[in-house]
Amino acid sequence: MRTSILKRNEFYLLLVIVVFSAAITVVNPAFFTIENLFDLIRSSSGMAILAVGFFMVLLSGGIDISFPAVAIVAQYISVNAIIALGIDNLALAFAIAVAIGIAFGAVNAFFISVFRIPTLIVTLGTMNIFHGAMLEFVGTKAINAGQLPNCFKVFGLVDILSLPRGDGSFYGLSVFFFIIVGVILVTWIILRFTVLGRVIYAMGGNPEAVKRSGFNLVRLQFFIYCYVGLLASVMGIMHVSLIRYSNATYIINSELLHVIAAVILGGASILGGTGTLTGTILGVIMISILEKNLVMLGLSSYWQQFFVGLIIVLGVSITHIQKRLRARSSLALATE
Amino acid sequence: MNTKLSTNLTLLAILLVITGVISIFLPEHFLTARNFASMGRQFPEYGLLSLANMLAIITGGIDLSVVSVMSLSGVVSAQVLSRWESLPMPAGVVILLGILTALAVSAVCGLLNGTLIAYVRVPAIIATLGTQGLFLGAAIIITKGSGIGGFPEPFLFIGNGNLAGIPMQFVIYIAVAFLVGLLLTRTRQGFSMQMYGSSPLVSRFSGVNNEAVLVRTYLITGLLAGAASIIVISGVNSIRPGYGSDYLLISVLIAILGGTDPVGGFGTALGLTLGIFILQILQSGLNILGFSPFFKKFMWGLLLVAVMVFHHFRRRYTQRRAAHRASTQREPAAGGASV
Repeated sequence: MRTSILKRNEFYLLLVIVVFSAAITVVNPAFFTIENLFDLIRSSSGMAILAVGFFMVLLSGGIDISFPAVAIVAQYISVNAIIALGIDNLALAFAIAVAIGIAFGAVNAFFISVFRIPTLIVTLGTMNIFHGAMLEFVGTKAINAGQLPNCFKVFGLVDILSLPRGDGSFYGLSVFFFIIVGVILVTWIILRFTVLGRVIYAMGGNPEAVKRSGFNLVRLQFFIYCYVGLLASVMGIMHVSLIRYSNATYIINSELLHVIAAVILGGASILGGTGTLTGTILGVIMISILEKNLVMLGLSSYWQQFFVGLIIVLGVSITHIQKRLRARSSLALATE
Repeated sequence: MNTKLSTNLTLLAILLVITGVISIFLPEHFLTARNFASMGRQFPEYGLLSLANMLAIITGGIDLSVVSVMSLSGVVSAQVLSRWESLPMPAGVVILLGILTALAVSAVCGLLNGTLIAYVRVPAIIATLGTQGLFLGAAIIITKGSGIGGFPEPFLFIGNGNLAGIPMQFVIYIAVAFLVGLLLTRTRQGFSMQMYGSSPLVSRFSGVNNEAVLVRTYLITGLLAGAASIIVISGVNSIRPGYGSDYLLISVLIAILGGTDPVGGFGTALGLTLGIFILQILQSGLNILGFSPFFKKFMWGLLLVAVMVFHHFRRRYTQRRAAHRASTQREPAAGGASV
């Protein structure tokens, strides 16, 4: 049975996004332009990819907070390797980063599945192991636009569509758009049409049942955490290409908070088993608008952290109150 | 054997071995009064945050907002303290007012966390993740991102003075840890927290008001973070939002290292304190040996995972032993029945 559209979390989130966008447009018409939309896609594509990965972990009943560290380490080592090797090739850069991302994911999966350590504790530990080891053994020096290999800079500037501005200059839709669409499509197919995907949903609901149905939980967890590692490393390369600067120590916690906020607002349960990819994407859109466009409302950037926190608190409170009311009304129906 | 005793004895053994090894190899740097005094000054601020997270973890939750609560109550309290010259009252009253402000702000933060977790039923990890942003954001808005400083001279005693040769914050930490120990072992609240952490359902059917227990728990974790903020702002004579962002990891690490069950139900103030000593002595050893802060970050991560792997094997060992004991006890009875 399909839930009616009015009862779905996604519908309300979409409504909030529309109202919020309308409010910004009234204050500042520059918001509602194709150029700003393209900018938003370019700058929030990294967050969208991280959110898709985080969503999958959450579905399976786990939590992975090491992905920002994985993204940083993967891009930093990849950039350094490309410089050291002298081969200015984007495919190689991706290959190096992805290999690191998958390897780190496997480390997480190893501790989670073999030693049955709570996922939050494992990834809290590994995020420090990965980042600390890189800073200690690889280096700490930032690589600026001058030293950054060309392949990254070109990748960050490629547009798949160019539109003219009034003054004759051009703005475009970044190639990143293809990557996000690709990642969302692949993840959607996995979750919706493969046994693997259905089992990931089931795992979050009841891992014991999945195990007794004959599925290998260890292998499933290896897939999930390696997939997140892979997505994090792809995001790392996109991020360094976008900002044209490879930083070894840049603050990773704010990105973490925003990604988790987006996925939770999208209606995924922290306890696993429920949530939709559509919700996650809407959550990302909501947080990106909030993060990037508060300035357009005339609020200083000091307010950003506060608002993201407020949105998480209000968002999760409303969903939890709704859930309880629904549970109560179905109980009332049952006893009638 | 009693798990409480065996956990704490293991920790004590680890502490003695580490202290022994470092003392043998680095006696001239490690075994000095100055080194011990500096260790006694360093750990109480994150020690209090670790106590806070231990209490949250005992109830099966976690408090990711401790560092933000510390920032916010420090910032608000600094608003009062830094105006001591212009306020029409003696410095002593301003100091008292500053301390009360910090505690009041942290209590409000704790109550908000507790209400979200107990009554709105948001999982603790998500509720405190949200409030983490909220509280830190509020602190940033108040200060516009910069630091505040310049407190009355006597206030600085808390973070810099000595009581009978012992650093003042060390004395505060020991007193607070003692109170937390009493809370866990001697009060109804402490008992209810551990029962709730083991099984919320059993707790509910035993007539415990689960919601009230949770609200009080997060009120206490908030107050502990408030106490930490007083030590911090007194120690450095200023406050900047975002100070101590590494403490979140460390506070969870210490709670787990100190024998707190990561899924709830068990934890002791003594174990936690031993865990802090182990971490602080390791840190001091690494400092003396000239390791970078990055290496320490790496080490703490490794230590956290290693402790959890150790717990895994210990749990398996005790389960196997229990199963073995059960089977040897059952055998004669089974034989008797067949006769």
